[in-house]
Amino acid sequence: MTSNPFDRAALTLGAVGVVSPVFALSTSSNNNFVLVRDASLVVLVILGACAVIGGATALRPLVLVAGAGYAVATVLQLVQFGRSTNWLNGNGSTFALLLGLAVGLLVVGLSSREHPASDHPADPASTERWVPLPAATATATAGVARMTEV
Amino acid sequence: MTTTNTAVPATDAVADSRATRLLLAALRVGVGLLWIENAGWKTPPDFNSLRGYTQNAVDYPVFAPFTWVVEHVVLPNFTVFAWMTLLVEASLGAFLLIGLATRLWAVIGIAQSLAIMMSVLNAPNEWEWSFYLMIFAHVALFATAAGRCYGLDGVLRPTWRRSRGRLSSVLLRLS
Repeated sequence: MTSNPFDRAALTLGAVGVVSPVFALSTSSNNNFVLVRDASLVVLVILGACAVIGGATALRPLVLVAGAGYAVATVLQLVQFGRSTNWLNGNGSTFALLLGLAVGLLVVGLSSREHPASDHPADPASTERWVPLPAATATATAGVARMTEV
Repeated sequence: MTTTNTAVPATDAVADSRATRLLLAALRVGVGLLWIENAGWKTPPDFNSLRGYTQNAVDYPVFAPFTWVVEHVVLPNFTVFAWMTLLVEASLGAFLLIGLATRLWAVIGIAQSLAIMMSVLNAPNEWEWSFYLMIFAHVALFATAAGRCYGLDGVLRPTWRRSRGRLSSVLLRLS
């Protein structure tokens, strides 16, 4: 399993696509979160699987293919929903989900990976926020250092 | 003379805990799903349901200037505004779901929630606190920069910080 944050992000986004058919289990016509059915279900799962494999194996082109595929599906859904021809059989919620996955995968796939790191200090992959100890100490204490004369 | 440094911890243990970060991510995804689901019933080309809610701003006025704008600007050009509403709300859902430029979208979410509130707050069978809660949820997303917790902002900010490009500096501010 990759430890690169970009690949993990691609894997996670792909996993969202793969598990999105869970929304099709909704029995409510009102509260179904995302309308996923028929062709949109197939598209979401197949492209999601591509992104998962691309993320797991650090195959960036595969991540980009998945992102581009979602982008095409996003445009298709936007153009067609509310019309008699609706190949993906979705609505605005389907469009929004596809848009998120497309943007996410394309951004992750196209970003520079020279120094991959998480922005959060609790993430062991982070190399950004934790500065070397002397500098960190100076920063942390700059505003609160108290001089005590003995 | 001696100097004693009394250091304050640089980070707060609770704020940086995995549980807190997971809960913030859950809040962000949950609010994203709110917008995603609500993009689902705005159906072109007529946007009939949305037109009804927009008409409420005129039938049950909340704030006179807003009512005037809806009556004289929005409703006569309804199709354009309906498409804008759909695209904004779908984008809100999409970007909050993946946690990209989260602070920007939190502010847009506050603005959109205000617009919705001023349209339907006084309409029958509306629970006013649902709109206040929507606004507060977006305030929380903004205040905590929730995209940095298991979102793409957290993954991309180090790259943006190293870049000298203008877009990167803008994205740093928006995330």
